[in-house]
This record gives sequence, C-alpha cells and structure tokens, in this order.
Amino acid sequence: MTAETENLPGTLHALRGEFEGIREIRRTRRSEMPQAQITMDVRRVSAKVSVVDVKGELTAFAEGVLMDAYGQASEGGVRGIVMNFEGLEYMNSSGIGLLVTLLIRVNREKQKLLIYGLSDHYQSIFQITRLDDAIAIHDSEEDAVKAAST
Amino acid sequence: MTERTPQPEQKEPRDAAYWARYAETLKVSGVAEGATNINVEGRRAVGPLQGFGKMWQKTYRVRLGGVAVSPAEVIQTWKDNYKDFWPEGNVFYAPLAGITPGEVALISGSLPGGVKLSTGVMVLYADEESFTLMTPQGHPFSGWITFSSFEEDGATIAQAQVLMRANDPLYEVGLRMGGHKMEDEMWQETLRNLAAHFGAREPVETNLVCVDPKLQWRHYRNVWHNAGIRSALHMVTAPLRWRSARKRR
Repeated sequence: MTAETENLPGTLHALRGEFEGIREIRRTRRSEMPQAQITMDVRRVSAKVSVVDVKGELTAFAEGVLMDAYGQASEGGVRGIVMNFEGLEYMNSSGIGLLVTLLIRVNREKQKLLIYGLSDHYQSIFQITRLDDAIAIHDSEEDAVKAAST
Repeated sequence: MTERTPQPEQKEPRDAAYWARYAETLKVSGVAEGATNINVEGRRAVGPLQGFGKMWQKTYRVRLGGVAVSPAEVIQTWKDNYKDFWPEGNVFYAPLAGITPGEVALISGSLPGGVKLSTGVMVLYADEESFTLMTPQGHPFSGWITFSSFEEDGATIAQAQVLMRANDPLYEVGLRMGGHKMEDEMWQETLRNLAAHFGAREPVETNLVCVDPKLQWRHYRNVWHNAGIRSALHMVTAPLRWRSARKRR
C-alpha cells in the first residue's frame, strides 16, 4: 500500500486514523475530588464547534471538571460549545449556578453556548431558573451543531 | 428530514422533589400579620441573568469548629429558624409550609429614610444539605442565595452564597453607595448567629468575586417594578387609603 492510498479518505486505514484522532480529542475528565460524580467528554465535531457530553451529577463539586472541559472544548478558536445533557442524572441549584458562570465566560469569549438532550424535568428547571432566556435549547445534536455553526 | 430516536420512558429524577415547579408568576399562599404583599404576588421570579448591574458571587462561610453537628442537622436548623438568625431590622415571614420548594416568603426590610421595603423570595430548591431562595422582580437584586452545609477538614461548614446582579439602575447605584457593605454585614451576622446557636464562635470568611463587570442596559426597565419605590409610595399614600376606607364605612 502506498502512502497516497493510505491517506485516501474512506479507506480503512484513514477511518482508523480518524477514530484514533477522535479518541485523542475525547479525554474523559474525572475529578480528583471524590464528591464529583461527573464526567465530561469533549468531542470536536467541526473546526468551530465542540460537543461536551455530560454524564452524572452537576453540583458544586463539578466546577473543576466543567471548567477543564470548557478549556479543552475551546482549544483552537472554537466558536460554539454544545453541551449534551442526555447523561445528566442529578442537578442541584449550585449546578445551575455553575452554568451561569460558564455562560458569562462563554459570552466574554464571544462564543455561543447551546444545549441539547435535556429531559422534560431539566427543561422545566431551565424555565424556572430562567436560564432558557439566555441559553438556546435544542432537540438534537444535529440541530444544536447546526445552530452553533451559523 | 430530521429523524428523532424514540425516547425511552423517562424515570422521575432523584432531584425532582427538591425543585420548585414551574409557574409563570409567584403566588403567596398566606399573608402573615404585619407582612405586606404589594411587591410579590403576580411578579416573576428572576435570576442573575435578568438583572441590570454587575454580577457578583458573594460567599460567606463559618466553621462550626469543635461542634458535633452534621451538615443535615445544620440545614434543618437553618430552615426551621431562618428568621431568628437574621439581624434586627429585617423580618422574614416564613411560608406556612416552611422552607419547601415552591413556597413564597414575604420580607420586610429597612431602607434609608425610614422606608420599609416590602419584598419576598421563592424557595427554588431545598434538599437535606442545602436550600436556595430566588428573588422576585423589584427586589434589590436579581438572583439566588444558596445556603449549604458540608464537611471540610474534619469540621462542619455553614455557607451562604449569593449569585446576583442589582435589579435596576437605581439599585446598582444604591449597592455601590453602601448597599453591598450592608448586605455583606447582614449575611455575616446571620452566619455568626447560626454559629452561636450551635455554640461555635469562629470568624465569618467572606469572598467577593465580580463574575461579570458589564451592566445589562437592556434591563434598565426593571426599575418599573422597583420594590423600594413602590414601598415608599405605598407608605406615603397610606392616609389616602385610610380616608377612603373610612368613607366606605
């Protein structure tokens, strides 16, 4: 196999290379604090958009994990941060507070913060706390990424 | 065309019982004697994103050193005796159902010039180790106050954390001209009173962070609901209300 064919898009080798690339980008963030029961995996889905997959409990103890994930998601001039809350299992008011401070950071960097995967319960919490006034909530990753790219 | 994957039936999340249910506007279930419900009923609850002024995160904490009390016991005591820990001059009319999610409490505070500020708060969230109050439109600040307790380095800590913006331009000026200091003193005294209840006498640590220095000019119209102005007007027009009430009799 020549070097040229190895790099042709669609070949098995190229796909494996892409997969390894994605794995390299996807670093699981686990807090060293025992109380933080959350992981946030970062995926770069396009040159300008990153997706953060949230799994677990969003409480005050998640601050380090969230800010690390945001830092990683912002690398390389990303303009849109999409948070996937399909794996959100628990959230208290401190967790909502963290999202407010994250939103301020995102706005300061002139980025967009978008969300998808909220259950009905968490959508209602976004309404009560009026976070839905400031953060766009989407039904699917496809919609959120599309909105983040525009 | 976008295809949506069928969602499995959603289980009730563990935190469901801790959060207030969504309601468009606030409703006060009962007005205690001495309380005035002129700036709460029918108002919307507002968070730090809806305010006008700079966004602040203020954290006040006290160590309950040498006291054998669990975080859950601290929070239960705080919920049960909330009004007793407040400094003099401010009155918290606890809801009949106590500090439980969705309940609304009325507040009477003191403003310069002898004006009695009538406002309130909604219990946004309450679990065994924390509870959060959210302010209504017209309150001096727009935001949340979270009271929590946890263990750190072998001691129980009690903490109050405010995430807020002044609700309108007048309040922002007021906060800068001594209002912030008054608020800091109020929460410091509250924590000292709570610690004293448990027999602890340690200093209150205060940490003030300006999260966003920008003013949100698009919210300047919040001044329409300003509870200070409305409370003052309510006070000065009281004789007119008495007179018209007497005429009706």
